[in-house]
Amino acid sequence: MAGVSEYTVAGAVGVEARDWRAAVRAAAGLLVDAGAASAEYPDACVATVEEHGPYIVLTPGLALAHARPEGGAHASGVVAARLAAPVEFGHPDNDPVDLVLAFSATDDGDHVAMLAGLAKRLQAGLADELRAAGSGEGMRALLDGAP
Amino acid sequence: MTQRGEPLKVLAVCGVGMGSSLILKMTAESAMQALGLEASVENTDVSSARGMSPDVVVGQGMHTDDLGDLAPVVVTISDFLDADGLTEQLREPLREQGWLA
Repeated sequence: MAGVSEYTVAGAVGVEARDWRAAVRAAAGLLVDAGAASAEYPDACVATVEEHGPYIVLTPGLALAHARPEGGAHASGVVAARLAAPVEFGHPDNDPVDLVLAFSATDDGDHVAMLAGLAKRLQAGLADELRAAGSGEGMRALLDGAP
Repeated sequence: MTQRGEPLKVLAVCGVGMGSSLILKMTAESAMQALGLEASVENTDVSSARGMSPDVVVGQGMHTDDLGDLAPVVVTISDFLDADGLTEQLREPLREQGWLA
């Protein structure tokens, strides 16, 4: 089946973020650096959380940041940022967060296969593999290595 | 098969309806499969959910609090990757509805 490897992937370790907004911007910034999203996309991701709440912290320690395609997505991508120090999102159960994933998708449909693959891998332990990776390149390779 | 003979309509909700809820949809599909129930699982945002009539709603508390009367079974889950936990949370309410033996 198709995995995340057909999409833009990137990773970074030791990302400095003083709060959740900085953490979301840093993760989404990896999509900008990779050319998968416009410079406005990180702020759109922050606005999503401000509008809808911290539900993007979908499992203990892990947030999945994104905005709607019109927020500035150029291509499909999945990136991961490991924070130098955990931050609080204000989630009732899943704080603090040390791993922020971000994705971009250019329309409502093209992210489905990408996220379905990501969900399967997260259920199989991808988050801890990303936490154990020695470098941003190691994280990128993990995101790239869909089954 | 469900006791009532047709697939249960399960709705996974989140704020935007494209990221977290899609991951929750996968987890809900695993849970319904583990329970041996036929289900059609969709994901959507919390606003769109209000116009739907599912049998089961799953989501985080910040969303299910607003959707408590939308479906006979509304289950709040914090960990969207915890298929085993969701399976156990669904078992009793589904039995109460007569949808699970």
